[in-house]
Amino acid sequence: MANDLRIDVFDPAARCEPELYESRANVLKRAFAAGGAIVAGGVLVAGLPRSAASAPSPAQDAEILNLVLLLEHMEADFFAEASVRAKLTGELLEFAEIVRGQERAHVAFLRDALGRKARKRPSFDFGEATQNPTAFSAAAVALQDLMVTAYNGQAANLTKGALEAAAKIVSVEARHAGWIRAITEKNPAPEPTDSPRTAAQVTAAVNKTRFLKSD
Amino acid sequence: MPIEPISDLTLDQLDRDGAIREALDGVSSRAGFLGKAFVGSAALLGALAAPRRAGAASPSDNAILNFALTLEYLQAAFYTETQRLGAIGAELARVPRQLGGVERAHVAALQDVLGRAAVKRPRFDFKGTTEDQVEFLRTAVAFEDLGAAAYKGQATRVDSPALLAAAVAIHSVEARHAAWMRYLAGFTPAGRAFDEGKPEFEVRRIVASTRFIVARPRTTRRRRPRFTG
Repeated sequence: MANDLRIDVFDPAARCEPELYESRANVLKRAFAAGGAIVAGGVLVAGLPRSAASAPSPAQDAEILNLVLLLEHMEADFFAEASVRAKLTGELLEFAEIVRGQERAHVAFLRDALGRKARKRPSFDFGEATQNPTAFSAAAVALQDLMVTAYNGQAANLTKGALEAAAKIVSVEARHAGWIRAITEKNPAPEPTDSPRTAAQVTAAVNKTRFLKSD
Repeated sequence: MPIEPISDLTLDQLDRDGAIREALDGVSSRAGFLGKAFVGSAALLGALAAPRRAGAASPSDNAILNFALTLEYLQAAFYTETQRLGAIGAELARVPRQLGGVERAHVAALQDVLGRAAVKRPRFDFKGTTEDQVEFLRTAVAFEDLGAAAYKGQATRVDSPALLAAAVAIHSVEARHAAWMRYLAGFTPAGRAFDEGKPEFEVRRIVASTRFIVARPRTTRRRRPRFTG
């Protein structure tokens, strides 16, 4: 749906020239119309699901699973790096080490399910977020909340088989979200529902983190 | 069916009788950290009611919703009673308050979508688990793990995309609760990389084994007067 597109979504800092900015927005509009590539923070992430999904199909499953695979890669790398570098101790270290293993299992599962359709692992730059416990905690809360709303947003777009698999992962992400929120003394379940995010909103949120490297 | 239209609906359009909003207001006024975010959440819960107003939910979806309602009654009653008795103190006091408000909101949303087809609230006897800190936490862990597994077990069986979107949005909240209760009880909040669902018969067997449900309310269906000639 074209009205889901907002320019501020794709380059919140507006670092680029106005003409380039405009052309990026146009690229995005064309991409959504074709169900093709999405530009996320200067990184071309090909073939993410369109914001207005059509009826569930194996082809659409592959697009959606590739979107969540990207997120799982991001988490797996984030926790792997943080558990080594962020000087975590006690509960935070235990959390990071257990979650790291579970996110790796999710990556392996999704790659296996996608087979040759699985996209390559992108590279990430987590900046300060993996360098100290405070920055790590804030980023971990945001990432885990994002995972839940990303999966929830795609539930009705998946075929029954893919939904069954995704449902086994999303509640583990929700457990991670509740866990890190409990450790950091935030409300573990602040709302009575985890509102779904569309693919476009998820892409925007990923872009905002600036964790995805463009080279 | 795309999910977008659901979030475009406003609370007023959906929650015409105000039941969901009332349940949520109760939470948000008591727990100060809950603010405007609740409106979006309420709209999603209200979306449960959209299929009924647009037409009828399928008989199979109604059965699933009634199954979910039974579990939500159980959870809501458990936390509400705990809060009323006030025996769970100190930092745990916010648990029954917070979870009670959320589970009551789930009940209100499910009752709203089911209308007259909604099962009635059973009577409960929680056998002291609402008065003892250790027993309370142990029971809360079991209820929340069970709630998440029960919703997951139904996910692929829901016909309506709008109901599915609302159901998964509740499902992950039950999982957050499960992690929270496990954390407070000293268990690992996420023990496995993949959570399995449970089929309805298994969930019902587990609920029955607690003996917390002491009486089914009488059916409200009125018999026809007998023809007496």
